[in-house]
Amino acid sequence: MDVSQYLEIFLDETKEHLQNLNTQILILESDPENENTINEIFRAAHSLKGMAGTMGYERMKNLTHDMENVFSEVRNGKLKVMPEMIDVLFQCLDALEEYTDNIQSSASEGTNDNQAIIDRLNAILNGGSVPQPKKESAPTGEAASSGAGADEEEKWNSINLEETQIRVIKEAQKMGKNVYGINVVVQDSCILKAARAFLVFKALEEKGEIIVSVPSAQDVEDEKFDKDFTLVVISEQPLEDVMNAAANVSEIAKVTGDSIALEKNKSYEAVAVSMQTEAPKPQSAAAVPAGDNNKKAAPKPAAEKKQTPGKPVVNRTVRVDIEKLDVLMNLVSELIIAKNSLVAASTQEQNAGVEEHIEYLESVTTNLHESVMKVRMVPIESVVNKFPRMVRDLSKTLNKKMELYMTGEETELDRTVVDEIGDPLMHLLRNSADHGLESAEVRKKRGKPEVGSIFLDAYQDGNNVIIEVRDDGNGIDVEAVKSKAIERGAITPEQADNMTDKEIINLLFLPSFSTAKKVTDVSGRGVGLDVVKSKIESLSGEVEVKSELGVGSTWTIRLPLTLAIIQALMVVVGGEKYAIALGSIQTIEDIAPEDIKLVQNEEVINLRGTVIPIIRLSEILEVESTTAPEDNMAVVIVKKGDKMAGLVIDELIGQQEIVIKSLGKYIKQTKFISGATILGDGEVALILDANALM
Amino acid sequence: MDQLMVNNQIVSSEKSDLLNLTQYIVINMGEEQFGIDIKYIDNIVRMQRVTRVPKVPAYLKGVINLRGEVVPVMSLRLKMGLEEDVITKATRIIILKLEQEGNVGIIVDEVKEVIALPEESIEKLAHNRNGKVSYINAVGKHGEELISLLDLNTITLEDTE
Repeated sequence: MDVSQYLEIFLDETKEHLQNLNTQILILESDPENENTINEIFRAAHSLKGMAGTMGYERMKNLTHDMENVFSEVRNGKLKVMPEMIDVLFQCLDALEEYTDNIQSSASEGTNDNQAIIDRLNAILNGGSVPQPKKESAPTGEAASSGAGADEEEKWNSINLEETQIRVIKEAQKMGKNVYGINVVVQDSCILKAARAFLVFKALEEKGEIIVSVPSAQDVEDEKFDKDFTLVVISEQPLEDVMNAAANVSEIAKVTGDSIALEKNKSYEAVAVSMQTEAPKPQSAAAVPAGDNNKKAAPKPAAEKKQTPGKPVVNRTVRVDIEKLDVLMNLVSELIIAKNSLVAASTQEQNAGVEEHIEYLESVTTNLHESVMKVRMVPIESVVNKFPRMVRDLSKTLNKKMELYMTGEETELDRTVVDEIGDPLMHLLRNSADHGLESAEVRKKRGKPEVGSIFLDAYQDGNNVIIEVRDDGNGIDVEAVKSKAIERGAITPEQADNMTDKEIINLLFLPSFSTAKKVTDVSGRGVGLDVVKSKIESLSGEVEVKSELGVGSTWTIRLPLTLAIIQALMVVVGGEKYAIALGSIQTIEDIAPEDIKLVQNEEVINLRGTVIPIIRLSEILEVESTTAPEDNMAVVIVKKGDKMAGLVIDELIGQQEIVIKSLGKYIKQTKFISGATILGDGEVALILDANALM
Repeated sequence: MDQLMVNNQIVSSEKSDLLNLTQYIVINMGEEQFGIDIKYIDNIVRMQRVTRVPKVPAYLKGVINLRGEVVPVMSLRLKMGLEEDVITKATRIIILKLEQEGNVGIIVDEVKEVIALPEESIEKLAHNRNGKVSYINAVGKHGEELISLLDLNTITLEDTE
């Protein structure tokens, strides 16, 4: 059955179930006896299993199956929920998420069996005790490269040998020849990996016979291997000679080797005892003859690793509330009626009532427009829902007690914004958790509750959506920032003395700035706040921080409701129409030419005590200004942060709601032009980006 | 570049099953006739008001409103080093659909006709003559007339200067 057409739905629903599981397991952690939650988790796991099975994703199905088993026992009261179990479950979810991501990018679930997690799940089922996982088998997806959990040092023992190969090895051993397993690691910096590997092959062939290569010789030749490959060599010479031959090839980082003991090899067991091996498909391995299975499985992981996913196979979708669609449908029907009545009116002799119909049409299109925009809006829930889990994990890694309180998850934003806002928010939360909140001891000393609080509040404010990340931690130490900035050479000590606290705090948004005393893996590498700022600005938003030392900090993100429609001021420069986003405009002034002064060869005006630089748009846009030099000029005062500038225009048209269109990829956009819009008469007007002009 | 040529070959080989014909739109530019493979053409519209975009190469005339979409428009004359367009009633904008860049319009003096050329009457030209970028990659014989077939990839390529 071809299921590819269901892929989108599958991915959508899987993500929903995973999110649900994350939330429910978090609840379970704080309330292990909650029967509703347990039932909910069981149901979600069950649906996931069913869906993965239908779509043919065996590994995903196996993992969810074992997860479901655990919950089935919990539900029947045979198992008690324990903290270790929660950890395993979260690992499970991470692994499932990885499968989902793989499927989304390449339509294949990947090759990671996550055997370690399955083992731990089964251990919970069997004894209730949870063994600690081996380091290599952590669910990172890398472990599967050649057999699950293979020990780096003895990779040759996890090679899947075919029956014939095993026979050859036995034969050789009988004849008194040595059979070595050799693992060759190529240096990270090596460029021509295939060439180096070829030389290794050649050197080894002089010493003996290579009977097995993982990845296959062909794949190695095609450079389809990561940085190491494993060989089985039959030779009469001592191991050291053989290894030296390989190690003498330049750019080889490491050669390890040992005599092969067949009984240590996993696939040997499989052939000998004909039991299920650890081949990538545990379920199907039982059915398929082991030798056959191994043949396919061996070169596969390397080949798949090489395959870099280009375009995700699945398009982005918006799930739309049916009510929104109903409204749209109604409006379209009304539009048709309005059009029909217009047609009827125009064919009548006297054009009676045309005006009326046009008015009607106008109101319908306006409403239609609004509704279509609303369809693009999605609640930020989908993004912020993963944060409680993240904060829980942070709390464990940082060893601080903290709690996340969220409000306004239902606040809606344009889909494109919601997709992009996750990372900046995550960063701010991590920042609060790591730098903001103090350790429990310090908090106690300061008379604060031991458990730190982080708040995430979202709400709509006019045409903007505000998202606030707040913590009751230490706040920003202005002096520390100041000395750090001076030390980094970002400002001079004299500059520092003249800066306000706010200005100094804003230094945090400079690239490569981190005040963390020690670098943790949570935050503090200095790549962050500047990225947060630029990301939010790319979404036409802004970010602000307020902080009080010892009390906490508040990061405020202000985002436009939608990126597609803005209020703009229409102006004329040199006979051409341009739009300037109203959001950046402060005032519009009428300035006499003699009020323009020169400061350091730059034109400025003194506007009610503030000196503002003047930008003559006609010069920047390369057109002739139509204003005579002696006439008063219309100047649009724009503001970006604390900076202001006056844009000299020729004529004002007025305020208008405009739809932003891209100029197309073909025209490399000039920096200060953020797009174009189509005016009422069908003419195209360019949109000026006031921020870029400054 | 090669991609386009390959595409052309594929298309012509596909068509060879039918009649071995490729259809071209013939346009007049000064004295010369040029052909554009019809499969790259999205639309042909009358000359309309073009909104100038500042700080772009001169051959990029600006953007137009094509049924609610903003589409960049360039002057084929300026791009090919001829003198500035004289806008007449016959002037047309041919909207090309490109894989990478989306739609791009080119201004031409006149659109004459649609012709179908069999493969044997199309003569491929070497791409780079005298080190100069050529905007023509083949010449088609149509009756007594010669039609220069435009290489749309070089035409829509951005000038390196």
